[in-house]
Amino acid sequence: MPAPSPAPHKPRRKANKAENDGDKPRKFDALVRTPAFPLAAFMWPARTSLSQWEVLPLVLMVVGLFRWAAGLWGYSGFQRPPLFGDYEAQRHWMEITANLPISQWYFHDLEWWGLDYPPLTAYHSWALGKIGSLINPEWFALMSSRGSHDPMLKIFMRATVIASEYLIFVPAATVFVRRFSRLNGVNTWTSNLALVAILMQPSLILIDHVHFQYNTVMLGFVVASMSSMLAERYKWAAVFFVAALGFKQMALYYAFSVFSYLLGRCITTGINPSRLFGIALVTLISFGVLVLPLALGVLYDKHRGIEARPELNGATAPLPIFPFIVNYIDPQNFYYPIVEQLVQMVHRVFPFSRGLFEDKVANFWCALNTVIKLRNFPVELLQKAALGATLLSIIPPNLILFLRPRKSALPVAFAATAWGFFLFSWQVHEKSVLLPLMPMTLLLAGKQGMSGEVRAWVGFANLLGAWTMFPLLHRVDLRVPYAALTLLWAYLLGLPPTSWSAPFQEGQSGVVQWGTALLQSTFYVIMAAWHVVEAFVVPPPGKPDLWVVANVGVGAAGFSICYLWCLWRLLRETEFLPSAPKTKSKTQ
Amino acid sequence: MAESFPTLTQCALVAAAFKVLLFPAYKSTDFEVHRNWLAITNSLPLSEWYYEKTSEWTLDYPPFFAYFEWLLAHVARLVDPAMVRVYNLGYDSWETVYFQRFSVIITELLLVYALQMFIDSSPLQSKRAAQVAALSVVLSPGLLIIDHIHFQYNGFMYGILVASLVLARCKSTLLQSGLIFGALLCFKHIYLYLAPAYFVFLLRAYCLSARSIFQIKFLNCVKLGLGLAGIFGAAFGPFALMEQIPQLLSRLFPFSRGLCHAYWAPNVWALYSLADRVLIHFAPKLGLPLKTEALNSVTRGLVGDTAFAVLPEITPRICFALTLFFQVLPLIKLFKRPTWENFIGAVTLCGYASFLFGWHVHEKAILLVIIPFSLIALRDRRHLSAFRPLIVAGHVSLFPLIFTPAEFPIKTIYTVFWLVLFLMSLDRMAPASNKPRVFLLDRFSTLYIAVSIPLIAYASLFHQIIFGNRLEFLPLMFTSSYTAIGVVGSWVGYMVVYYTC
Repeated sequence: MPAPSPAPHKPRRKANKAENDGDKPRKFDALVRTPAFPLAAFMWPARTSLSQWEVLPLVLMVVGLFRWAAGLWGYSGFQRPPLFGDYEAQRHWMEITANLPISQWYFHDLEWWGLDYPPLTAYHSWALGKIGSLINPEWFALMSSRGSHDPMLKIFMRATVIASEYLIFVPAATVFVRRFSRLNGVNTWTSNLALVAILMQPSLILIDHVHFQYNTVMLGFVVASMSSMLAERYKWAAVFFVAALGFKQMALYYAFSVFSYLLGRCITTGINPSRLFGIALVTLISFGVLVLPLALGVLYDKHRGIEARPELNGATAPLPIFPFIVNYIDPQNFYYPIVEQLVQMVHRVFPFSRGLFEDKVANFWCALNTVIKLRNFPVELLQKAALGATLLSIIPPNLILFLRPRKSALPVAFAATAWGFFLFSWQVHEKSVLLPLMPMTLLLAGKQGMSGEVRAWVGFANLLGAWTMFPLLHRVDLRVPYAALTLLWAYLLGLPPTSWSAPFQEGQSGVVQWGTALLQSTFYVIMAAWHVVEAFVVPPPGKPDLWVVANVGVGAAGFSICYLWCLWRLLRETEFLPSAPKTKSKTQ
Repeated sequence: MAESFPTLTQCALVAAAFKVLLFPAYKSTDFEVHRNWLAITNSLPLSEWYYEKTSEWTLDYPPFFAYFEWLLAHVARLVDPAMVRVYNLGYDSWETVYFQRFSVIITELLLVYALQMFIDSSPLQSKRAAQVAALSVVLSPGLLIIDHIHFQYNGFMYGILVASLVLARCKSTLLQSGLIFGALLCFKHIYLYLAPAYFVFLLRAYCLSARSIFQIKFLNCVKLGLGLAGIFGAAFGPFALMEQIPQLLSRLFPFSRGLCHAYWAPNVWALYSLADRVLIHFAPKLGLPLKTEALNSVTRGLVGDTAFAVLPEITPRICFALTLFFQVLPLIKLFKRPTWENFIGAVTLCGYASFLFGWHVHEKAILLVIIPFSLIALRDRRHLSAFRPLIVAGHVSLFPLIFTPAEFPIKTIYTVFWLVLFLMSLDRMAPASNKPRVFLLDRFSTLYIAVSIPLIAYASLFHQIIFGNRLEFLPLMFTSSYTAIGVVGSWVGYMVVYYTC
């Protein structure tokens, strides 16, 4: 008896909404009698009569509670002198932006977490630093606040992450899910399930709200950009994407897809030069607006006689990169400081001088490194190899997207491109796995997103992604929130280790189902075994990193499979491959 | 019939994940209290349990709870041996925290089990309503705040209570119900407040014939008597043999405490204190004498030793008499018609009476009212309209327990979430009553709920901004009076419902 029995009393409010889309859920009822996984069970009472405006606030409260509770745990670099960690980096940026003139932001004491994110992060830090200083000036006092572990400061910082996410990522995801599911003919109830699954993504909570960063801001802008593409507001898509890039350069992982889609929409779906021109212009203007405060600030500082690098005592230093610029622009020119500032910003944001990979990360190079010592090869060769491999991996999805720029193919194309970047590009961090995971998780809102196949694969990628971040979290004693959030998400979506039925819930052929189940189960078993070994067996002497290396190898293999799956799915979505035979499926 | 979703187990699992995330949250001194009890029971012989006083947090729960700690300590010793040393005061290694917090989550499963019993025992047409009510208890913000943040083991003891209440539903399990309640009393003596309802109900429904009160069922009396004697013997017997009963009782019933607890529990005495404060300003005009020593007391309204300036002092005797009087009223009806619904109603009203008029009542005791009431709140809309102000007031009154800023969003957002969810779904579930609603009462309760929002905002945020640290008692007094009005109002409302249905 799933639906509430007709109440004998007169309802206080008239359920006028129910009449509009009353049809769909009822058909759904007839097909599905019991929820296929626990998350559906939790939303079960919301299938009938409840409007979006009753469900959404409750959902937002619950995901907010989980975020805040997870935030009670320690953060990256907690009580770990001398440099501390990401938390200190973010706090330090608030400290310098709130206290120093704008022209010094990108130059100030680069050894201590120098600012190396694009300007929007700097403005964001400035705003937060100013607000924080109003509450307690000591939190962001110049120099003296370094490495501060004031518990009240922690609360403030945690609150800023949640506030930023609720201002950007959450609305963007809500709107995207609504548009994308409507596009694919998914009913409201199912799309609400997808929204909860997306907002409860374990890696996102673990990295942003526990380990500490503001990835959701960048990801939120990307989702907003995709959402604008769905709504065919291409100029807005460009604006949002520039904002994402301006917040965190990592958004470049998606840049090719954004470019291919927008270009495809201007060319392959009927040549539309005015649209192309409009998008290009808006993009340029957005970049202009993005650096405008920096440029104006620099000019103003110059006017006030404030040097960007007071330690030089008025001497001009050579540009860190692109030194040839000096041949064209006279350093005495009034706008030279702006050029210098922008060059410095680019230099800070794109550290070409760093290694192929940082630490241990589950991408192709790091996995390859266990077999062949890449250190023995010249850096130029490695750079070229990385560039070549990345291009090779991202050209297919983007070419497809360019040729057939379909709305329904957007998330999967974004995911494939981001996987390509993650696996093969230069200078990847383990946290970068959030980038391919985000569009892939958005697939849940698509056609048959919550039914077997997609759920199984999205779940697999997310659980594997969280698993590859375990060494990172383990270093700061975050095993408990890792276990709680990951297992919770797996449980809600009916994934291993709590349920092994996900691959079998759709009308695919038996071979594919069993193949999927077998392949994924192998990985799940390895992941579980790895946790046991990591916890109880000491690595052999001389190889202290053995477990981490094993993690990296398995992770890279699994992510490659995810990349291939996204590519295959994209081919099917754009009908380069015949889409899955339509057999009787449980959910439509 | 298909199961309705989400099930209790599903909710309990997700809630458990949330509670695990709360491990590093603020914990009150009760955490150390329980650690100390682990240490006492593990490292000392039985004869010294109720004499040990190295820590100020001496063992003041009845023996079954001590045995329970003794059992836990066997595991605790394996987790971290330093945890169970008596002199290790204030010890809270992460192993200790994980172990103690985890033991609360695990033992709470008993509550989930008991509530599942409740759902299963409900008649078919009210099963869904029963499930909603059971979910509201499993997800109760009261238990979350008290057990999982503040730290206590109420979850499993309320589980025992619910199991006992459910067993009372069926004639064949009445004996078990009574015996289980007897055992519960040996876990925590606060449940003595509910004992009068049990006494009357078992007397009428189990020991006396249904046809006439003059026919005594001797066999039943013997079974119940022997059973209870066995249980109390198991609990207190060892201490009686060692002639420690007076010492034990002095630990269990410390009569030296004041009328009001550290905060003002939302009961009649809170309103009495408020009236006293107001009267101070009018006393000269009305020609009432002022007691100057009470006026000069700096701690007025904040700490236990409440002294009244205008109104007469309250003695424990007055409290006791009032409590007993208001407990007896519903029991008369229960004696006349000993149905299960009346029994639960009487238990609820006994809880109300002791909470509202008791001596040294702690705000945590509100669960003594809310949880039994939850089982019958969905009988019809009249019950629900008495229940609604209670859950708002009861849970808001628990807020001062958690005063740390990091946990502030948890207690408020969780409570608001719970209230929105369950006020909404209870409203949909409750069947219409066959008697007309009391119009005024109904509107009062809606208005009352609406007022809570600005009140919480003021007490937790705006007061600090406007006054800083001055007038600290003000938000406490507002919260206390507001919640007291809610609890008293819902009590009056429920009394009416109880007598007229």
